[in-house]
Amino acid sequence: MKLILPLLALLVALLFAASLLIGPAGLGLGESLRALFRGEGEAMVLVMREIRLPRAILGLMAGAVLGLSGAAMQGYLRNPLAEPGLIGVSSSAALGAVLALQTGLAATLPLALPLAALAGAGASVLLVLVMAGPRGGALALILAGIALSALSGAVTSLVLNLSPNPFAAMEIVHWMMGSLADRSMSHVWLAVPFMVAGMAALLTLGRGLDALTLGEDAAQSMGVNLPRLRLVLILGTAASVGAAVAVAGAVGFVGLVVPHLLRPLVGARPSRLLPAAALGGAAMLLAADIATRLIAPDRDLKLGVLTALVGAPFFLHLIWRMRRVEA
Amino acid sequence: MTLLSLQNLTVRRGQCPVVDDVSLTVSRGEFVGLLGPNGAGKTSLLRGALGLLPAEGRSSLASLPPLARARAAAFLPQGREIAWPVSVEVLVALGRSPHGAADPTDPAVNRALARMGLTAFRQRRATELSGGEQARVLIARALAQETPLLLADEPVAGLDPEAQIRTMQVFADLAAEGHGVVAAIHDLGLAARHCSRLLLIHRGRLVADGPPREVLTDAALAEVFGIKGFHTETADGPVFQPMGLVR
Repeated sequence: MKLILPLLALLVALLFAASLLIGPAGLGLGESLRALFRGEGEAMVLVMREIRLPRAILGLMAGAVLGLSGAAMQGYLRNPLAEPGLIGVSSSAALGAVLALQTGLAATLPLALPLAALAGAGASVLLVLVMAGPRGGALALILAGIALSALSGAVTSLVLNLSPNPFAAMEIVHWMMGSLADRSMSHVWLAVPFMVAGMAALLTLGRGLDALTLGEDAAQSMGVNLPRLRLVLILGTAASVGAAVAVAGAVGFVGLVVPHLLRPLVGARPSRLLPAAALGGAAMLLAADIATRLIAPDRDLKLGVLTALVGAPFFLHLIWRMRRVEA
Repeated sequence: MTLLSLQNLTVRRGQCPVVDDVSLTVSRGEFVGLLGPNGAGKTSLLRGALGLLPAEGRSSLASLPPLARARAAAFLPQGREIAWPVSVEVLVALGRSPHGAADPTDPAVNRALARMGLTAFRQRRATELSGGEQARVLIARALAQETPLLLADEPVAGLDPEAQIRTMQVFADLAAEGHGVVAAIHDLGLAARHCSRLLLIHRGRLVADGPPREVLTDAALAEVFGIKGFHTETADGPVFQPMGLVR
């Protein structure tokens, strides 16, 4: 059990390397590494440093963000069905991106799309905090998040519905499927600071989430400042998940499945689940992104489609097992 | 030495005061039973005293910063919530978190498990235990906090007779060792037998405060609970048994 974090870290390192070395350009191992580290071979340097490296970094970071924020959200709500999108950040970030695509802004400014998505995430957090109050309970937070998700979803559908341009509509639909293809280092520089800041905030919550195992009253009586914990959770999730959606689109199921899968391996302790879920999420997203390249190299299989396709049956299997234990 | 002092504590739900102008102090060495019918305000009094509910008046605990309060008083809530299938020792060790790390090998965890007769359970998953066993594990968590004061909301409800008596004896032992314990209790017999002092709450007001035989009078029982009871002194201590209704 103590080996779980080193093992997961090793898995992530291997998958990160694999993500760098696998791709349609079909470079050899030696020339890939020479191009990446020493800058030898002009075209290969371009492939390694401008295409594969940002893709691998974003896969690693977005996966870690989704796994970690899923674990934190489940810990706070004491519910294994919670996921990072619950407070409305994902759908609002997606709405921001969709508006950028629809207005054509995304085509004129290279970073307009992720910036618009970040703006959407920020707006959703302000709204959730206003609606659920700075000191409110978990229920108000969930309900405000659900309402906000529904609203963002409806506006997104409205944009699609009224879109005069079928190409823009197509682009929006494709973007919403989630992908890490064709991301540049400028995406990395834009998103990674938010992701790192958000994850650093979420990783501080371990002690409070452990205490919350016994309920809100017991946690507060053990010295946990609940309003502060909730604020850090909301802001950390919004910054990191907002940035993840901004660069990777809507990638479902990682934040739900990964904490669920790893919980038995860390003795169900929320504080130990946080780092494990971050590593597990990174591993899952890197693996899924590699799979999109291996399964259909020339069909641009979308990452979010694959994670849901694999994640949902897997989740059903977990429920099936849980049902037998509970019966 | 005073462990808890309340001055004119009032807790309101809307306009209606559920705890009405209660003043009291609890000192070292006291095992205080908090009595009153359902809805009398026992839980609100405990939560208000801890600062978990907004309250008027003054509470020595509520005015402390969260971590200092967690080292001054442990609280066992009425709702017995265990959200994740953690092991018993990990759960009990949560009581150590205000003192630093929630370490299952902490000697205080061993002491708490031993007091509640749970040493054999320490590796079991808490969520797979029976309701009464879970209740004992949660009491052990509060004991592991090793605070001067312990506030417990209906700690013995739903326990078997052995566990009830064991728990009451553990609390009486804690008081004898110089801690203070305040426990909301519905079983008047257990309260009369084990507590050193009883507080009687009726409609949010503190209506009686003193040793068991002075509080459990016929008049107070009829007025507050609407019951009559039988009491006697035996060689083993006071015995109280509710006998029937008066209204």
